Amino acid sequence: MIDDTAAGAAVRSGAAALSAPRWALAGLTALVMGVWPLVYPHSFALHIGTLVLLYCIGAASLHLVARMGHISLAHAAFMGIGGYTSVLLVMRLGWPFALSLPAAAGAAALLGLAIGPVLLRLSGKYFVLVTFLFGEIVRMVFSEWRDLTGGSNGIFNIPRPYPLFESPVAYYYLALGAMALCVGLCLRLVRSEIGRTMDALREGEQLTECSGVPVLRIKVTVFVIACAMVGIQGALQSHFVHFISPESFNIFESLNFVVMNVIGGLTNLLGPLLGALFLVLLPELLRDYVNLQRVIYGIILVVVMAFLPGGLVELGRRLRAGGARLLGRGEG
Amino acid sequence: MRQVLRSALVAAAVVIAGAVWLAGMAGAAEILQIGGIGSLSGGGTAWGLAIQRGAEIAIDEVNAKGGLKVGNETYTVKLIMYDDAYSGQGGTTAATRLITEDKVRFIVGPIGSAPVLGTVAVTTPAKVLLMSDGYAPTILKNDAKSPYNFRVTNTTNEFMPAAVKWMRQHFPDKNRVGILSTNDATGQSVLPLMKKFYEEAGFKVTFQEFFERGTQEFTPLLTRMLASGIDIYEVDGNSPGDAALLVKQIRQLGFTGAVIQIGGPSIEEIIAVAGPLADGFLSYDMFDFGASAARQFIQAYHKKYGEGIINGQTPAFYNGTKILLEAIRRAGSLDTAKVRDTLEHMEGYDAGLYGPLVWGGMKNYGVNHQLLLPFFITEVRDGKTQPLIQLRPNKE
Amino acid sequence: MLNMMLNPIILGQVVVNGLSLSSIYVLVAMGFTLLFGIMRVVNFAHGEFAMLGGFALLFLYGQLKLPFFVAVLLAAAIVAVGGLVLERLVFRWFYQKMFQSMIGLLGLSIALTYSAVLIWDVHARSIPPAFTAILRVGGLILPLDRLVVFGVSIVVLVLFYLLIRHTRMGLAMRATAQDLEIAEVQGINSTRIYQLAFVVAIFMTALAGGLYGQVYSLSPFMGEVPLLKAFIVVILGGMGSIPGAAIGGLILGMSESFLATFFGSAVSNFASFGVVILLLIVRPWGLMGTPE
Repeated sequence: MIDDTAAGAAVRSGAAALSAPRWALAGLTALVMGVWPLVYPHSFALHIGTLVLLYCIGAASLHLVARMGHISLAHAAFMGIGGYTSVLLVMRLGWPFALSLPAAAGAAALLGLAIGPVLLRLSGKYFVLVTFLFGEIVRMVFSEWRDLTGGSNGIFNIPRPYPLFESPVAYYYLALGAMALCVGLCLRLVRSEIGRTMDALREGEQLTECSGVPVLRIKVTVFVIACAMVGIQGALQSHFVHFISPESFNIFESLNFVVMNVIGGLTNLLGPLLGALFLVLLPELLRDYVNLQRVIYGIILVVVMAFLPGGLVELGRRLRAGGARLLGRGEG
Repeated sequence: MRQVLRSALVAAAVVIAGAVWLAGMAGAAEILQIGGIGSLSGGGTAWGLAIQRGAEIAIDEVNAKGGLKVGNETYTVKLIMYDDAYSGQGGTTAATRLITEDKVRFIVGPIGSAPVLGTVAVTTPAKVLLMSDGYAPTILKNDAKSPYNFRVTNTTNEFMPAAVKWMRQHFPDKNRVGILSTNDATGQSVLPLMKKFYEEAGFKVTFQEFFERGTQEFTPLLTRMLASGIDIYEVDGNSPGDAALLVKQIRQLGFTGAVIQIGGPSIEEIIAVAGPLADGFLSYDMFDFGASAARQFIQAYHKKYGEGIINGQTPAFYNGTKILLEAIRRAGSLDTAKVRDTLEHMEGYDAGLYGPLVWGGMKNYGVNHQLLLPFFITEVRDGKTQPLIQLRPNKE
Repeated sequence: MLNMMLNPIILGQVVVNGLSLSSIYVLVAMGFTLLFGIMRVVNFAHGEFAMLGGFALLFLYGQLKLPFFVAVLLAAAIVAVGGLVLERLVFRWFYQKMFQSMIGLLGLSIALTYSAVLIWDVHARSIPPAFTAILRVGGLILPLDRLVVFGVSIVVLVLFYLLIRHTRMGLAMRATAQDLEIAEVQGINSTRIYQLAFVVAIFMTALAGGLYGQVYSLSPFMGEVPLLKAFIVVILGGMGSIPGAAIGGLILGMSESFLATFFGSAVSNFASFGVVILLLIVRPWGLMGTPE
């Protein structure tokens, strides 16, 4: 990640940021992500790599919602809906994963569709608060509906989808594929007409509404897509970790998605991806400082937010701008 | 310019953290690494530290005697402790890292059903030996017959029959029992078992209810329970902090019946929090801190970690770690199958705190990997603990 | 159950329990809503200031044995003034930045909690009780410590109300909350006002933390619950509204007491969350807030 941004800055600082080097960088990143497991098939690295990819799905999908000016604290709840749906269908009804995965996305999307039209009328902070309460209610349902969900004991010995995916490398590629599809879809959305509407919504909802855009319909559509995606993450992750319980989908998990987005940056789809990478790796980087790890983690959050209010994506931009200014001064 | 500097500082901090990490990963020869997993963040932190400290004291003892002799090699033992954040996924990640990154073959911990189940999902296929503690019966009872994991503390199935039998004799005319329990994994699996054992012994559980984890004000629920009329209030396997508040608040509401906690030990914290209201409280106790055998252990603890309260799980994990190290020594090998076989046949070995080792669990879990520890029923008198009787789980 | 509901003693007990719950909720929520109303920060580290207040009281009352009421006020004052260091180092970066403040202060909350673990260890303990008597009034049971909490809360809230409504300082605070730029044009030093509001908010929180640590228990993790409750209370009453926080706290405390006693814990949780959601859908600005 450090290399990526540094290299990006280096590439971009010389010439104006044209799309060609950017594309080259994106291609290079994709190539590295696709090839490294073959060169270095190390199972812990694959484990963490897979988690990073899965969290990229959830974080990128929350980016869609955040892009419209809404911060949802119920995202983990939708992830849980996806997770429980897939796991129960596979383990109780013997469905194949190829069907339970779309069902997981569908279940999360349905719930999103049911509450979206009501909740998305709320603006900014009220949306945050209501989604927080809604997420808690969903989690309580997971733990109270013991016959179905196994209650707080959760469900264990969850099988991998097919024998093929017992292998960490295979599961990594499954996650990579899912991530590429979901993030690709997010990118398409953000760059489309809808994306421009989303940005306009964030800047001023009433103005957008006045210009004849069906605001609520677009918001609900985007919200439902985001819920479906995080449902996919939930399904993939449950089968990957072999174990789920209501606590896997609590408020702190929802907050984690928000932290990924805010730390990464809210203005650019690259933000949540950087955020996911950063937040999944950070605890691993700090693991050796057993008793200090959480203190350092907290301080890092404070420092990043204080100095980079625009998130990590701002880091590249700042370095580039600073580099250009230094060069300019040198010449003058 | 200032902004560039700041950005550069942030970047530098990240790079340095990464470099330190890589440097830390380089291993050394002649060192036997034992993995530790426990909650070092979140609500289970007291238990995570109990695992870490118990294991460290056991390891210090072995190292002080020149290290652990395994076959022809003598190793300095080292604990690598990772956080599971009290979650299933945290257990999986910590175990994966210990096994694949640190090449650990033996793990102590974690505590709690969720992290243990997450850990077992990784350690069993990797044939890594695990000495853990979670109350969910499925941790041991499963299709694979738990080939590589052992439970190092009693659970409800083990201590409840003997404890309830004693209670029946102690309270011949008290019959109506009320139970309040957290709706977390432990609470939900323990409460039905408690109810079963109480009713088998002839008590009547007239009130049972779950509360949301994190509740601090129990007065409304306790008012509800008292209105239903009970003679005995069973505090159940609630976490020490919750249990302490429950005891304090039920006494503040004027309850004069018996308050007992067979579900789990939190007696020191109950005294600390409830103060004089803890008088007369009866508890299942894992360990008699006043026993002479415990003196050396307690001294070692206070020397290393200060004068704080010693969590009841600490001696259990000291015990579990010592048993594990002894098994490795006796097996003369680091092969986990050999150590496991040795471990299964170590009955009678005395690690110092609990007397001769006994395995059980065949009847309940289909495998004899359950450590059976003697335990106590303790009473609080004038702010001090007073062991009333020592009981033993039945070997079944 | 109807029997239970019609029993005047149980009903009375429900009200007493509810009032004692409410008073702590209101104290914590008041600081939270003040910080939001004036500086637009969502203080996720709020509970940790309560925790620090608790440990300060443990030191002053439990170890130094100062008289109780002196210790309570002094402990809160120490945390509030000491908190100014964090105001300078951390909070100042986040004024008027809602989302960044949420995440940055979440980081502060984590850092403070785990620093406390390193300093004081994890186990729960309690501040020695100052009042252990249990009063019985016609079958009602009134633990004296709860009554003290109730009394202290009322006094603090009244003083706070007078400060905000009837002093020049209060006027300046309200002006800053309403419109920062206009207030500055009028010659109000916003940095000073922010510091002042910070000290007042943290004072109330730390005070609540001390009382909380005495009535319940004290540990590095004790901040989590008060924070979540403050969050709900403030939503219920309207973000930034001071009377709203008072009424929100009262409603939450009373309804928790009532629902948990008569219907049990699960119903109580579902119902109280559900009602708050419904309320926000119909009236998103809360009971006492003003629509934007």
